[in-house]
Amino acid sequence: MKNSNRILLIFCLPAFLLYSTFVLYPALGGFWYSLTNWNGLDPTYGDYVGFSNYKELLGDENFKQSLLFTSKYVIYMVILQNIIALLLAVIIESFEKTKNVFRTIFFFPNMISMIVGGFIWLFIFTRVFPYLADTIGLMILDESWIGNPQYSFYSILILSLWGSVGYLMIIYIAALQNIPKQLLEAARIDGASKLQINWHIVRPLIANSITIGVFIALSTSFKVFDQVYALTGGGPGRATQVVSLNIFSEAFAMQSRFGYASAKAVVLFVLILGITLIQLLVMKRKEVEM
Amino acid sequence: MRANILALIGKVVVIVFIIAASIFTLSPILLAVLNSLKTNGEIYTNILSLPEKIQWNNYIDVFQKTNYLRSLLNTFLLVLMSVSGIVFAASLAGYKLARTKTKLSGLFFGLFVMSMLIPFHSIMIGLVRVTHDLHVQGSLWGLAIVYVGIGSPMAIFLYHGFTKNIPKEIEEAALIDGCNEFQLYYKVVFPILRPITATIVILNALWIWNDFLLPLLMISDKNRYTLLLSTKMLFGQYTSDWSQILAILIMALLPIVIVYIFLQKHIVKGISDGAIK
Amino acid sequence: MKKLFILMSVLVSVFVITGCENNEDDLREVELDVFMSFPRFQEQFEDYFELFEQKMLEEENIIVKINLEMPSSDTAQQLLQARLSSDDAPDVYTLHAIADIPDYYEAGYLADLSDAEFTNSVYDSVLESVTYDGKIVALPLESLAWGYLYNKDIFAQYNLTPPQTLSEMEEVVNTLNANDQTPFLLAFQESWIPQLLMALSLGGMINSEEPNFIENMNSGTGSYADIDEVFGIIDLIMENGTERAFETGGAAGSADFANGEAAMWVQGPWMSGSILDVNPDMNIGLAPLPVTNNPDTTMINLSTSTSLGVSPTSENKDIAIKLVNFILDAEHSSDLFAELKFNPLSSVHTYDTFPWVDEAMAYVAQGKAYLEKGLPNGVTDETALMLQEYYLGDKTKQQVIDAIDAAWQSAIDNQ
Repeated sequence: MKNSNRILLIFCLPAFLLYSTFVLYPALGGFWYSLTNWNGLDPTYGDYVGFSNYKELLGDENFKQSLLFTSKYVIYMVILQNIIALLLAVIIESFEKTKNVFRTIFFFPNMISMIVGGFIWLFIFTRVFPYLADTIGLMILDESWIGNPQYSFYSILILSLWGSVGYLMIIYIAALQNIPKQLLEAARIDGASKLQINWHIVRPLIANSITIGVFIALSTSFKVFDQVYALTGGGPGRATQVVSLNIFSEAFAMQSRFGYASAKAVVLFVLILGITLIQLLVMKRKEVEM
Repeated sequence: MRANILALIGKVVVIVFIIAASIFTLSPILLAVLNSLKTNGEIYTNILSLPEKIQWNNYIDVFQKTNYLRSLLNTFLLVLMSVSGIVFAASLAGYKLARTKTKLSGLFFGLFVMSMLIPFHSIMIGLVRVTHDLHVQGSLWGLAIVYVGIGSPMAIFLYHGFTKNIPKEIEEAALIDGCNEFQLYYKVVFPILRPITATIVILNALWIWNDFLLPLLMISDKNRYTLLLSTKMLFGQYTSDWSQILAILIMALLPIVIVYIFLQKHIVKGISDGAIK
Repeated sequence: MKKLFILMSVLVSVFVITGCENNEDDLREVELDVFMSFPRFQEQFEDYFELFEQKMLEEENIIVKINLEMPSSDTAQQLLQARLSSDDAPDVYTLHAIADIPDYYEAGYLADLSDAEFTNSVYDSVLESVTYDGKIVALPLESLAWGYLYNKDIFAQYNLTPPQTLSEMEEVVNTLNANDQTPFLLAFQESWIPQLLMALSLGGMINSEEPNFIENMNSGTGSYADIDEVFGIIDLIMENGTERAFETGGAAGSADFANGEAAMWVQGPWMSGSILDVNPDMNIGLAPLPVTNNPDTTMINLSTSTSLGVSPTSENKDIAIKLVNFILDAEHSSDLFAELKFNPLSSVHTYDTFPWVDEAMAYVAQGKAYLEKGLPNGVTDETALMLQEYYLGDKTKQQVIDAIDAAWQSAIDNQ
């Protein structure tokens, strides 16, 4: 073995040991369960059933529904999260003295556990909104924000954006601050309008950060769980059931089909892996073109 | 003249927008604090008013029932152990992976990075099983070790990215001076990694402080509950009394709010440093 | 040198201290992990277990330390399952007598308690529900005589008596509506609550008009279409209920019911505690739910829900069994059960029963009652979600029937 590889092994040992014990091994275990009919209780892990769980998945309407619902959520999140974060970043960067105050305010919800944040918003949606509707007459608030799936989708979106926009905003602020001031100055002297500057100079320079921003939004929103769990629990019925919640209830409620739930988890992982890889490839190529 | 008016209108729009956004961001927390100090009856009659008489009782109750200081200390210890472990393990690996250009290093790096996309629920049962077989279940240090395993990949990714951008010359000079690999890492490299270490400390501390599912699965002894765990356990006891529930939530938030108020500059800086690799 | 000296003296004192402890080997020390899904009764059980710790110390010279874990109901199932399947079972834990015992027993997580002392005092009818494979495998905690709840004061105000047929129920609903009194409370936020509508009406049907229903379902020839009369009462309730059903959970529902927001609530006597907490003067009535115009379908459901099992792998099984016996302790058990508002289920229980239990028992005495039968795993959960969507209008009656049929079939296929 090459000497450099030997040293590499030593340096990687602590991390790799713990990582393979607590992530890799259980993940492989999960893949194995997906080939069995284990019910999560049987100490012998059920029987090997080949790929029949995966075959069954193809006809599982509820799983498809949850995938569709999750995709809708992901699309909204990726777009809104990045646009709002970018907008806030641009505005805040244009301020002088109050820059820090606003940055601090908007990042604040990111400090909070989504379980706690979710319950606080549950209070807002089920108590404060109806109260405002009754007393001030803000009729737009007089809806069933948790019970009506049409609106509860937006409740989940509001909670998620509230808890995550600040992080992307910080990333975009950092990217904006990295743009050389002389470049902007020169463009302004040449008579370029603000919009022109933003589009032709700023945009290409922060393209890399946008790639990161989209990557973060994609990979986290596909796995969304806490927000939905705290607000609607996936209900009413299965109306707001995201994929992770569908997997969760397959494993721990319903028939406790742990093997089947594991197959769903494997599919989710492959989907996330595929989509984020495509996203990174496409956007990296675009960055080069710009 | 017209351009001036347009610019003024633009400015007003921007200011109104940013203030509205600030209110949207902060009002849920403020309303929660406000109503946690009322009786449950007052919440039903007037949600926006100030409390008639401030109900500290709600908080005293929570303080006693959650064994607050104990859970706070537990959470603090857990974060301390996990984060130091992550920094130690990931800085070693991330730095060396960036400096070694072999097939093996590529394989390792790919393996680490890929796992950032694995949904937690798919490793959950296997994880609980492993921790039990290794007898690390039920203790805070055992939970910390698990966090090092799960948290390292992201930290390795960040250390890797940071190391790529620092010049090799310093290390080469140190090697010529007779340092061995470990002295080099400890004396020269680790200090250079400090900015990204700060980022990693902040990100992981936030994650572990706010994590719920893993402590729930791993810790069954009440004396070892984390703050969020003892908070969530209290929930079952008060299911309809919103003033009580809000007091519980605020108590769970309090430590992190205090930390944020004092360290917000460093926290925000740490996160933005991590963003531009 | 000085540091070394300090270190040495610390070490020595540690040895002395631990040495001391080891000398007292005549005192046995035992830790028991107890897992219960009863967060609302946390304080009562903590106090009760303290009594047990005292008793063990005084009578048997054993120091028992009980670690009571009471997760909220939304996480309990997941947590218990993770503990059991990772070989980390609590010594004593709660489970549902009818829904859980078969699976847990087959997987080998329940110790045989047939010889335990408590079996001598528990009523035979209740004992039967915790017997599986010829063995008694759990201690019953909650024994139920179950029907819907009604507000006796509101009924008295409009001269109403609990209806015995569907058309009588319609008359009651009309009278209430005419007086601007909402007939039914709907609290559908947690899906297990709307599911109770199906559980009660299905029970009435399959124990009268459709006795072969479960058999047919299991053999694949049956369908919920055979009992679709149940939608008569389900529709009636859903169309005449309170608003914002999906934003009202069990706890908020009991507050609303206690405040007289509705005259009837399809819930169970297990809610009596939280209702009386809000309004201690409330007159709770309990009656069997009419399903069709055949009064034979109007029956009380007798069942056992929460029970206490012992893990066969427990290191201190003897003490764990003693703890389980202590739940039905002749001296203390009556106080506990009365405080929890549980039904008496053993000859050691001497407290006065509650008025709603007496009311239910009157129906039982007339033979208008049946013993709860277990449905295959997952059918209840599927029913719960489907009824939420049915109320929402997202699913038609036919879709609900098809989905539950499919869940039943899949449960049979995967057994």
